[in-house]
Amino acid sequence: MNSYFAAIIESSDDAIISKNLDGIIQSWNNGAQRIFGYTADEVIGKSITILIPEGLVNEEPAIIGRIRRGERIDHYETIRKRKDGALLNISLTVSPIKDESGKIIGASKIARDITGSKQAAEALRKAKEDLVKANEELEERVRIRTASLKEAVAQMEEFSYTVSHDLRGPVRAMHGYATAVLEDFSDRLDSRGREYLERIIRGSNRMDKLIHDVLIYSRLAQNQVELHRVSLNDVVREIIQQYPEMNDPHAQIIIDKPLAPVWAHESSLVQAISNLMNNAKKFVAPDVIPRIEIFTEQRGNNVRLWIKDNGIGIKPQYHSRLFGMFERVGQGNDYEGTGIGLAIVRKTVEKMGGTVGVESDGVNGSAFWIELPSSK
Amino acid sequence: MTNMILLVEDSEDDVFLFERAMMKARVSLPVYHARDGQEALDYLQAGGKFVDRKAFPLPSLIFLDLKIPLVHGFEVLRWVRSQPSFNHTPVVMLTASLEDKDRGRALQMGADEYLIKPPTQESLSRVFENGSVKIFPRQKGNALI
Repeated sequence: MNSYFAAIIESSDDAIISKNLDGIIQSWNNGAQRIFGYTADEVIGKSITILIPEGLVNEEPAIIGRIRRGERIDHYETIRKRKDGALLNISLTVSPIKDESGKIIGASKIARDITGSKQAAEALRKAKEDLVKANEELEERVRIRTASLKEAVAQMEEFSYTVSHDLRGPVRAMHGYATAVLEDFSDRLDSRGREYLERIIRGSNRMDKLIHDVLIYSRLAQNQVELHRVSLNDVVREIIQQYPEMNDPHAQIIIDKPLAPVWAHESSLVQAISNLMNNAKKFVAPDVIPRIEIFTEQRGNNVRLWIKDNGIGIKPQYHSRLFGMFERVGQGNDYEGTGIGLAIVRKTVEKMGGTVGVESDGVNGSAFWIELPSSK
Repeated sequence: MTNMILLVEDSEDDVFLFERAMMKARVSLPVYHARDGQEALDYLQAGGKFVDRKAFPLPSLIFLDLKIPLVHGFEVLRWVRSQPSFNHTPVVMLTASLEDKDRGRALQMGADEYLIKPPTQESLSRVFENGSVKIFPRQKGNALI
């Protein structure tokens, strides 16, 4: 029986140590060697205080005192020192050892190294604390960002307003006075003088259009749109009615079949389609009457609206740049444009959850498309 | 009622463009030009230097800019529409603002027309007919009462 218990003690992971009432070590198992680093030969007969760090040496008299009174010490968490000086977190259970007569003659100590779990607990606590802190920081950052974003939007609106009111004033004056000079003093100017005035007028027209387009673009970026069922037939018809230059003899528009309805925001869609139709009409070779074909194509759950022209086309290498802001591809000054029109088209269509694109070989006209969810 | 026009406009350039468009539209009604919102209110109330109604007769039409010094165009419009004596007077907004919300607000507050600057012979044809102020629905409605 004794050897059976001895085997259990020897194989225990915990340090099992006995000492007498003077604190002298009497037995020392494998667990104790593993945890504290001393062999049994090194420590038996030595004082238990070799395991106690300097600051805690008065723990020992207190423990011995309680043992003498027959008390047990359960799972007392403290710090002990290994042979190599490293400190360990230890959970101690100390019980009195009695002789046959019941007299207390020593103590058995079971020490468990809890450094690992202690560290894990500490790490967990720290992680939780960090998480809470990170959360608070994040919330604070979100709050600040939201506030500055709101401010930015408000400033942007104010800016747009200022642009539309104040920036256009001087342009209007330039245009107005140049026109007045041209009208009232034309007879006193030679053809060069008149040509310069016409250039001022064209420049101010372009400036006004540019400001107007930038405004539309910036407003697009801010606003959210609500989608409804929109009849492309109505939208296209409305655009044709609004722009007399879209009709004979200036242009030929062919819509051979009814157009499919889509999910869209109507005025945004009018903006996008009229920009595309204007481009289709504008970018044609001189002496060519613009011919614009409009049709829809069902593509899965989407409808693709095609606007196909007989214009000058766009070489494939420019297609990717075409929908960018201020991009004008390769026409020099022959064709007027602000370079914002297609950026507006893309922005409006993307705001409605759609896509845009173009097909053209750069010779035989262009075919622009807008794809939006079908509303069938 | 004397046929005269009150133009509320702070920009001299825009006054020039206005007069030129009026000339082209063959409208030759006299125009008093108020340079800010307060001057417009003073004129309409015959306050300060405008006490003599013979020299400063009530207008048969008001052209009103939105962004003007001292009193904003919307405030002038609100005041005009709150006065029974000006209920019949057509108010035409003449502004650079392309904002739909400005247009909507102006019409909802009782403006009769909303023209974008610069005024042109064509845009003025929405306000004048054969050289005189068109009859707006507001005036018709009130005339029946």
